Amino acid sequence: MKILLAEDDFASRKFMDKQLSRYGECDVMVDGEEAVDAFMMALEDGEPYDLACLDVMMPVMDGYQVLKAIRDIEAQKGIPKSKRVKVIMTTALNDERNVKMAFELGCEAYAGKPIDVEKFEKVLTKLGLI
Amino acid sequence: MAEELMKKEEIDEMDELLEDDSPKGMFMTFQVGKELFGISISYVNEIIAMQPIAAIPEVDDYIKGLINLRGKIIPVIDVRVRFKMEPCEYTDRTCIIVIDVKSTMIGLIVERLADVDTIAEDNIAPPPSLGRKEHEHNKYVYGLARTKDTVTLLLDPEKLIRQDDIVTAMEEVRKEEQS
Amino acid sequence: MAEEFNTESMLDMFLYESGQLLEKLEGIILEKQDADCFDDADINEIFRVMHTIKGSSGVLMYENITKVTHKLEDVFYYLRESHPDDVPHMELVEKVLAVSDFVTGELDKLKNGDTPDGDEKQLVEDLDEFLGRLKGEIKKQGIEMPQANRHVEPTQFYITPVAGDDSHFYRISIHYRSDTQMSNLRAYSATYALKEVAEDLLYTPDDILSNEASADVIVAEGFHMLLQTKSSKEEVIALIDSSEAEEINFDELSKEEYGRALGEFGREEAEPVAAAPADSKDEKNKEAKKEGPKPGDYVVKTKEAGKGKTLAKNQPKQQSIISVNVEKMDALMDLIGELVIAEAVVLQNPDLKVPGLELSNFQKASGQLSKITTELQEVIMSMRMMPLTNTFQKMRRIVFDVSRKLGKDIELEVVGENTEVDKNIIEHITDPLMHLVRNSVDHGIEEDAADRTAVGKPAKGKITLEAKNEGGKVYISVKDDGKGLNKDKLYQKALEKGLIENKPINEFTDKEIFRFITLPGFSTKEEVTEYSGRGVGMDVVVKNIQSISGRLDISSVEFEGSEMTLVIPLTLAIINGIVVQVGNSPFVIETASIKEFVRVGEDSLISEPSGEEYIVLRGECYPFIRLNERYDLPDSNDKIEEGIIVVLEHEGSQVCVLIDKLLQEQEIVVKPIPPYVRKVKGLSGCTQLGDGSIALILDIAGLLMHDGERR
Repeated sequence: MKILLAEDDFASRKFMDKQLSRYGECDVMVDGEEAVDAFMMALEDGEPYDLACLDVMMPVMDGYQVLKAIRDIEAQKGIPKSKRVKVIMTTALNDERNVKMAFELGCEAYAGKPIDVEKFEKVLTKLGLI
Repeated sequence: MAEELMKKEEIDEMDELLEDDSPKGMFMTFQVGKELFGISISYVNEIIAMQPIAAIPEVDDYIKGLINLRGKIIPVIDVRVRFKMEPCEYTDRTCIIVIDVKSTMIGLIVERLADVDTIAEDNIAPPPSLGRKEHEHNKYVYGLARTKDTVTLLLDPEKLIRQDDIVTAMEEVRKEEQS
Repeated sequence: MAEEFNTESMLDMFLYESGQLLEKLEGIILEKQDADCFDDADINEIFRVMHTIKGSSGVLMYENITKVTHKLEDVFYYLRESHPDDVPHMELVEKVLAVSDFVTGELDKLKNGDTPDGDEKQLVEDLDEFLGRLKGEIKKQGIEMPQANRHVEPTQFYITPVAGDDSHFYRISIHYRSDTQMSNLRAYSATYALKEVAEDLLYTPDDILSNEASADVIVAEGFHMLLQTKSSKEEVIALIDSSEAEEINFDELSKEEYGRALGEFGREEAEPVAAAPADSKDEKNKEAKKEGPKPGDYVVKTKEAGKGKTLAKNQPKQQSIISVNVEKMDALMDLIGELVIAEAVVLQNPDLKVPGLELSNFQKASGQLSKITTELQEVIMSMRMMPLTNTFQKMRRIVFDVSRKLGKDIELEVVGENTEVDKNIIEHITDPLMHLVRNSVDHGIEEDAADRTAVGKPAKGKITLEAKNEGGKVYISVKDDGKGLNKDKLYQKALEKGLIENKPINEFTDKEIFRFITLPGFSTKEEVTEYSGRGVGMDVVVKNIQSISGRLDISSVEFEGSEMTLVIPLTLAIINGIVVQVGNSPFVIETASIKEFVRVGEDSLISEPSGEEYIVLRGECYPFIRLNERYDLPDSNDKIEEGIIVVLEHEGSQVCVLIDKLLQEQEIVVKPIPPYVRKVKGLSGCTQLGDGSIALILDIAGLLMHDGERR
């Protein structure tokens, strides 16, 4: 599986990279804009990502903007819902309003930091990724 | 006056020592009667000079009353009386060690502070279990520490503040209820 | 994680909402327990409750909760679609309660930070079996089978963060030597080292890398950090490079203090734009809170990013009610308490007592201040008032459970459940009330309905739970129409157990005899039953009630029933009191219980040979207590004509107390006497006076009781 990881904090990035690399090839981005660029590039190359893990607090664009951009691009390209990239937000912003907003923007899962690895894996299973 | 000042400085100094990291094996030592006692520094919150104590009626004689520590009201006990020694006058060397045992804050009135010492575990011996009844405080002492020329009795604060008599009284009531 | 202090987390919200729904559910069930069946509205409501909890537990991946609620939702789906007759109502009620209990149990685990690991299998099987029968019934009745309830598996998931309960909070201040070069870089290396273990890290000055001038600030004022981490103090200390540090202050904070400290750090942030990432995150959060989050709110260090488009769905809602974390309320309450004390410290400051000071402006201003603090207290008090509805709800459940287990037919009437009481008090009365209700069901109502009809009562027992608010007190009574208390039996029992003096029964008043049941070690039932026993007796009830300055009244007529009434103060925290002095000790007496102050001469005193003393006032005779003797206070005045007599009244009985002098009247913030000190009869708490000294608060009820026992 092809994974997009956007995370600006070095420690979290390393940790997530290590976790995710067990499931597939992981591209690591350090800000929101790069993440959208990478997503576009992969789409154009015909090798879209299966999973995107987005931090919320990032430079240039935040995770919610990235999520919205991704969903907008997918809608524009007429990609059916079932083929959309699965998005998991990873953030310490755990208040209900943020979570609800992210769900409304169309993410598949919202993982509060510090991340519960066991549950994270469970979600990947439920999403049919592993 | 000069002595008073000195003493204030001493207390401050001790208090400052507490601010530092308190690794295991550090003990605050103080004198009660002729003997030197030690209490693990991890229990000690701060040291304050003697201050006015509001007496509470009808309690055990070693509970001297309540003090106001920056808005927190905490009970203080006189360690001398707790050890069933003759009470003595409070002097300007008398001070209060505020300890925190399992979230219970209690002040211990001691005659004078000695020092903060590091005592290696190897130097701590169990207390002699000879049935010497006159040593009432033996049940609160969990170890003896030998340094150069002194012997420090190491106190278990949890036992020190426990009101054994009350515990047993409660148990009796409970037994009565069950029967 | 600053947001934890400011908005409810996803998990908190789930717990809160599910808790509310379950309470509502129990309300419906218990109200309709005696009906023949649920009506359509109830079925719809229960279906909706289960559906909602199923959905949200699915998102949070608490699978056992999801499975159980899913099954019950199915059951109600069939009920809703097919309207079958002959549904075994009682069984259905039990099933719903079983589910409700299971989910409540799991929610409690979550609240405690545990994993909800309850085994749902048995419950799901039971429900399956029930549903199977239900379907059979539907077929038999020839109703068309509705389509199977379609479940939509959740497609979105929320992964709860690893519980942060074991986090520590520290405030670390580093003061570098004044000749330290590039202290900002040293500070940075400290933050860098801490980032490895930090869950949250704030520091000030915050522009240590981008602003070289910050080095001077650090040397002058020190470098301050707020750290949330799982690491211990020792581990954190080891991480900080202390080579150039002159002093490192290290304070462990409680979560609450940390929350407050965050504010401090937030305010000190000079320029949010240049802020270091950790800080700007926090800054952004604060902005977001005002309006509700939008995409783009969380951009860190904006370069060129446009603001995200406003989402229609996320427009801030106009709300007239907000829910507030109880901890915050308590913190506010404490702060107001401190404010009242601080006010007293200012207004009674000895500096003001210098003769010849012109104070009229000061007095005007202080009058205004007092008015505001008083209003502030009233507002916070009213905020803390909560109706007894939920507490009474629990009692319904207890009556239901216990009466069914004991095979008694009992009706519960609830009156005045909207009566409002201070939140703290509610917490304290729930257990005692539960005990009283259990007692009424178990011991109050007759075992055999025939015993009831024999004395002309209806076969069905009745328990009335009533709350009312009168004269600054709340009365909560549990009344049953059962067999009542048998005075002779009580007297015999108390005598046998040696709990009372050996004097004939007619020397005790009815009230005194009833009070025997509250003595430790008294229980008229030979065997402690499962429901009222549990190792606690009425003495514990009384103790709990007394701890909040309340009392228990008992009245009873044999064969007609008993009534237990809890009388409790509306609120606990702040009272109006008069400070008096006896010897060297100040005491506080609640103003409301003082009838009058008088000076009398030796001739008004009657001394009995037994040592008891009375005071005669206007022909009336009052018991007399010398506080100095009672509490063994030295240096006090013994002469009655030199002291002041305070006439105190409590529940119709009066007592005269001798004191040395009156000090002042003021608002008193009641603090408990530390539990380490054994409870002293006649004292209900302590307080801090304007000068910082501690005064003990007299408890009139305790004083009177003590006096009665002595006799």
